[in-house]
Amino acid sequence: MTLLTLYLLALLDGLLCGLRTSMGRCPLIRKHSYYTRALFRGIAGAQVVSVLALAALLLTGGFSLRPVALRVDLESAAGRMLWVFLPYACLVLFNLALRLVPSTDIRSATSVLMLGPLTAIRPLVIIVGVLYGISASNLLKTRFLGIFILALMLSLEFALNRRAARAQAIQIRRLV
Amino acid sequence: MFPAWNPAQPEITDLIVQHDPHTLQRLLVRKQDLLEAYSRFHNRKALRAILALPENAGYLDAREIDVLLLTVHWEMQRLAEEFHHGHRVWELLRPVVASIRQAGIRETLRIIDVGCGIGYTMRWLAANIPLADHNMEFIGIDLNATLIAEANRLASAEGLPCQFLQGDAFSPEHSGHVLLSTGVIHHFRGNALLEFLCQHDQPSTQAFLHFDFQPWFLAPFGSFFFHYLRMRTAVARHDGVLSTSRAHDARTLLEAARTSAPGFAAGIYGAKIWSTPIPRVFHTLVGLRHKLVPELRRHLGRYATRLGELQ
Repeated sequence: MTLLTLYLLALLDGLLCGLRTSMGRCPLIRKHSYYTRALFRGIAGAQVVSVLALAALLLTGGFSLRPVALRVDLESAAGRMLWVFLPYACLVLFNLALRLVPSTDIRSATSVLMLGPLTAIRPLVIIVGVLYGISASNLLKTRFLGIFILALMLSLEFALNRRAARAQAIQIRRLV
Repeated sequence: MFPAWNPAQPEITDLIVQHDPHTLQRLLVRKQDLLEAYSRFHNRKALRAILALPENAGYLDAREIDVLLLTVHWEMQRLAEEFHHGHRVWELLRPVVASIRQAGIRETLRIIDVGCGIGYTMRWLAANIPLADHNMEFIGIDLNATLIAEANRLASAEGLPCQFLQGDAFSPEHSGHVLLSTGVIHHFRGNALLEFLCQHDQPSTQAFLHFDFQPWFLAPFGSFFFHYLRMRTAVARHDGVLSTSRAHDARTLLEAARTSAPGFAAGIYGAKIWSTPIPRVFHTLVGLRHKLVPELRRHLGRYATRLGELQ
């Protein structure tokens, strides 16, 4: 259950990364299909991150001399990570839900006062969440896995942003 | 105050593209001139941004500047989208149009966006407002040929009923019933602001709506965080923050409008959020022919409280 929750949070994070990196890069008015493609790219990126994390997990478990102890340690670390990631995700989702209110002032305020700052602290939340998760772990392998997953999560938005920037630059150069 | 926030200096995008005011021909821009302009203000952020601009023999590379301008304007559209600017414009434009109709003007109303850039406002209106119901024509005008070409390309790509023209929005052939602008009016300062508003007083023009940042002491700080989180180019970040320091306060706008365009009743719309003392990011300088004022208040309905004194 803990791993499934982390996986779902990773998908949500990927989805929002895909959306964020595509914003400000398409000047059309009607762009549902553009944003839909961006969301799927984000989910695909999160899927790649999840598969790499799972592969690392299986490899580590396969080569471990104490697989049961490793599993308990990993589950405990993952459970602690949720204490940071879940409230953050709830806060983001709450603010996204607020945007359903048909008021330009409320929608603008959620964007400026909440979603912007929440985006700004995303890397910090990821670092704090992973470090808090592995801080009480007994095994070095758990800590290495945690750091590996941290690097993967941080590189997701970077990679999506690079791709979106390159696509935008090519498009604009064709126009000028 | 930080040097980059000094309102006495122009924005970088005001300087990197220059046109002959009569022929609209693009002029060469010497990089050293720009560096000297910002050296006077000790604005290191602007200097760094300008130093990074590509050049040819000391002059800014026009093609690369166009690439930068389009990148910046695409990003700026994101800000308009996040602030739901299209909705805000229509919230005010709709009662203005209704008031004009009430006064007996039946012809097609020309809505002119002055300094339209890539034409977000006009394209949004064209995409979301049933033109046939209101008998309106949406036209965006800007001096910059690259931005106008992009605005027309985007409108055409989506089949939007609006057009964009390069030229002077106040020339007789472009005269409109309603003039509006977004983030433009703070570029006019001192006498230039008076001259800008004076040109509104044309026979066909019934109203003007100028949307711009509302200055207050926290605005540059808010703008700083907003632009550093949302914008990706150094020029956009610099100009976005500077524009909030350069924005005119309500008193300056009203005095200028009442002095230069006495044919209109002028007021400020949407300065505060609901009935609280919290200022909105944008406020609007509204000008309306005197005979239309009572009708506007009536058509605004529950939003009438957002409109300050019109005189």
